[in-house]
This record gives sequence, C-alpha cells and structure tokens, in this order.
Amino acid sequence: MQETEHFSGKESLELITSMINKAKDVNHSTGLTSVMWGLVIVTCSLVRLAEIHYGFRMPFDIYLLTVIAVIPTIYFSIKEKRESRVKAYSDSFIDNTWLSFGIAIFLLSFCLNVVFADIRPMHEEYTKLAGHAAAFNFYDYTSSFFLLLYGLPTFITGSSMKFRPMFWGGLVCWVSCIISLYTPVKTDLLLTAVSAVFAWFIPGLILEKRYRKAKQELARQHV
Amino acid sequence: MFKDLDPILHSQLRLAVMSLLISVKEAEFTFIKEKTRATAGNLSVQIQKLKDAGYIDVQKQFRDNYPMTTCKITKAGIKAFEEYVASLQDYLGGR
Repeated sequence: MQETEHFSGKESLELITSMINKAKDVNHSTGLTSVMWGLVIVTCSLVRLAEIHYGFRMPFDIYLLTVIAVIPTIYFSIKEKRESRVKAYSDSFIDNTWLSFGIAIFLLSFCLNVVFADIRPMHEEYTKLAGHAAAFNFYDYTSSFFLLLYGLPTFITGSSMKFRPMFWGGLVCWVSCIISLYTPVKTDLLLTAVSAVFAWFIPGLILEKRYRKAKQELARQHV
Repeated sequence: MFKDLDPILHSQLRLAVMSLLISVKEAEFTFIKEKTRATAGNLSVQIQKLKDAGYIDVQKQFRDNYPMTTCKITKAGIKAFEEYVASLQDYLGGR
C-alpha cells in the first residue's frame, strides 16, 4: 500500500471496511489444545466402555487423564499467547468461557461424587432387601450432564468466532445429551466419544491446518 | 457545512493502520505490515506520525532476542477515528 492523500470519501470508507474485515480474520489458535482434548475424551470414554463391556478394571481411573491434560493445556495456551501477533477483543471473552467451563466440569465431578457417595449405601441396602439391583441407577444419567456442559463453550466459541465446525460440534454435544438420557451407559459413552470428535478433534484439526497455511503464507511474504 | 477531514487520518496507509487497530486490542508491526501490504520503511514512518499525533501507542520490546513492535490505538485515536468516519458519512450523505 502506498501513501496517498488524494483519495475520495467513498474510497476512504471502502478502505476502512476492507481493513476492519481483514482484522476480523484473526485466528491464531494452533488447534493443538482442541485436538488433544478431543483425543483425551475419546480415550477416556472408549476405555471406560471397554471396562464395562469386557468386565475389567484399569489399575487407575482413566478419567485422571483429564487432570493430567490440564498441564499441556496451560503450556499450549501460554505459548499461543506469546506467539500471537494480534490480540483481539474477543480473546478474553473466549478464554473466560473456557476457564468457566473447566471450573464447571470440576464442580460437576465433585457434586456427582458426593451424590454417588450418598446413593451407594441406599442401593446396597435395596439390593440386599429386594434381592436384585434397583431399576433406577443415577450413573446412567451422568453422561448427559457432561455432554450438556461440553456443548456450552464449544457452541459459544464456534458462534462468536464464526467457526462453523465448532458451532456444529456444540450442537452435536447437545443432541447427544438428549439421546443419552434414553440410552444405556455403553451407548452414552459412545455418544460422548462421538461428540468429542465433532466438538474438538475435527475442529482442532481444521484450525491446525489453517494455522500452518497462515504461517506458510507469512513466511512466503517474508514478514 | 462539512467538517474538514483530519489530515492525519486522510491518508491511505495511516487510515488503513487505524482501521486495523480500531478492530483489535493490539497488533504487532508484522501483522499490520502483512494486512496493509506496505513496505516496512513506509509503514514505520506512518506509524511514527500516528504516534506523534497521539493516536496510537507504540511499544518496542524484545521477544526471543528479536525486536518486537506492538501498536495499540489510544482514546484520542478512537475519538479521532470516530469523528473522521462521521465527517465522511456527512460528506457522502450530503452530496
């Protein structure tokens, strides 16, 4: 762009619009965190499904992977922020949305553990008295609560960033949330794995591809 | 009666820089250079003019031993940009 002071008012407005649109096209996410969380949730769900289906137990709770995955998440987030060449106004909104999601997931897990601890003796007593397990098992419904939460930040991020794959991923989580209310635990776990693929794994791969392309383009321009 | 257009903003590259910076919190020099497709020398001169007018803040620092220049629009810059757009709209609407 050259320095020109002789341009019309119409050209000025066109320039402003074009630059504002270029600034909107700011996406510096590498997609790595999204891909990683997609894989983590798929692994947790499928391993738990295998445990139930084949009747074995891992030496540790597979969902501990989600706690471990927090460490690389923090590392990648800091790295992305450091490498980012532009800070958008929406960045802090998206960051806080995912932070509140993380807190909500932790609180939900905590609440469910408390509820299970209270329900378990009741179930055991019922089984002893009735001679069979109760037809109602609260564990059958827990996936729905998690899927409900999975959809929230995914949908918000997808719609605010105008990133369709994540927008649809959020909707897949919510549809799975409704279906999982009426399906057995094994199907719920499969639905959770499918939702994680659509909400995070695939969008993450797309973001990663875009990031690489943008980086190559930048290198080509030598800026 | 139309207001005179701000001569600092009524220049293609400076207006492009301001339009970019009004849309984001802050941006690095390389980002602005990429989006405006200006040469580094020309862009540096225009950024300095915007800084001298008090329309943008420029911070120079080092990251991994490389110099990094970050630009951010100031309150005065936002006000000037809004007034410029309003004057343009008056001008175009009144013709």
